[in-house]
Amino acid sequence: MTDPAALWVNGRPYSTELPDDERLLDTLRWRLGLKGTKEGCRTGDCGACTVLVDGRSVLSCLTLTREVSEEAILTVEGLEADPVGRTVLEAFVQEAGLQCGYCTPGFVVALTGLLKERPNASPEELLEDLQGNLCRCTGYLSIRRAVVGLAKART
Amino acid sequence: MTFTLLAPATGEEAVAALLAAGPGELAVLAGGTDLLPDIDEGRTAPRRVLSLRRLPWRELNWTSTELEVGALVPLASLERNAELRRRMPGLFEAVGAVGGLALRHRATLGGNLVRASPVSDLIPILLALEARVGLYGAQGERELPLEEFLQSPRRTSLAPGELLRRVRIPARPCAFRWQRVRPANDISQLAVAVAYDPLGGDWRVATAGVAPLARRAPGAEAALHGVAPSDAEIRACADVAAHEAPVRADRRATDPYRRLLLRALVARAVRAVRDRPLESSS
Ligand code: FES
Ligand code: FES
Repeated sequence: MTDPAALWVNGRPYSTELPDDERLLDTLRWRLGLKGTKEGCRTGDCGACTVLVDGRSVLSCLTLTREVSEEAILTVEGLEADPVGRTVLEAFVQEAGLQCGYCTPGFVVALTGLLKERPNASPEELLEDLQGNLCRCTGYLSIRRAVVGLAKART
Repeated sequence: MTFTLLAPATGEEAVAALLAAGPGELAVLAGGTDLLPDIDEGRTAPRRVLSLRRLPWRELNWTSTELEVGALVPLASLERNAELRRRMPGLFEAVGAVGGLALRHRATLGGNLVRASPVSDLIPILLALEARVGLYGAQGERELPLEEFLQSPRRTSLAPGELLRRVRIPARPCAFRWQRVRPANDISQLAVAVAYDPLGGDWRVATAGVAPLARRAPGAEAALHGVAPSDAEIRACADVAAHEAPVRADRRATDPYRRLLLRALVARAVRAVRDRPLESSS
């Protein structure tokens, strides 16, 4: 069915038409106009589409919007207003943790989720939990510096 | 729209919906991380999808001898369970080998087993641990060994109208070793799981990547005795494992390479269990 749905994204309510089979990635980009979330592969292999649902990172390309429509969703557009998200953005800017920037929304959102879940995680633990995020420019060294810097600053 | 979604609130309603559906008409959705790509690729085209999200099958209970996991527990909840990491490091490793963390926040243990994927990292470790599955249907729940549940790739012994309800996993010393090109978001060329059964004093060895579906390696198991097998016994076990594996070459690895891996990983996994100080169960 295509019924109206109420969604809660980045701390504000949205109402939209919502077909049952629609992916969260498409709802965000094409219905809500939140195009910061990127589609890299659509098969769960790249992490570019990562958003937070109820504080946990999920792949929006492999999530039906209806499955999570009752939960709070956070996308890259909401990070500036989020205290943890802000420090993550600042660390990426500081270290120039991006080249083309396509993978960046996925990385900063995933990292924000991790830091909320495990505030005292070591740099190694954070890097391990980010293994699902790929950077096709292979700008990993600067991303790594941003992650390590953040972990050290917090502990 | 390709399908409509239904989300029953109880197991009975879910079973009724399953029984009412014609063949191939309905697909069951848990985390969706394997089903949705299949739908995208046209490997399956259900007209209706039955979401299990409203069912409360998410328990994670320890007893002194085993772990009971509800079918809908996300894999990430398993890896964040400190007791699991301590008591069953092999299961912890295998869970972490699946996809990336964001995928594991949605992918469920039940979904992984029901999909019976030839490349599942969880099936070998759960075979080695001799896990049992509880199947829920109109007649109540029945239990059977995972080994019987898995029939062939993508086929299980779920009867029409049945759903995987829970998995019971004996808490035994275990290890998991894999080889692949990339650590995350990749498929293992080969995976080896071993577990030690303190009651019988014997070992279980299971492998993935050598046959169409993960399986036990009985010859290799028979080469090991007691909690502390000697290095010579471990070498013999690894040799048998490499020798008894069926021939298999695909785009991920050649047959000789797989046999080399098998020999090395079996030995490493057994040594990892042997050399780890025994954990108390508390
Ligand atoms: S677009 Fe979702 S994982 Fe690549
Ligand atoms: S910066 Fe280009 S994909 Fe990562």
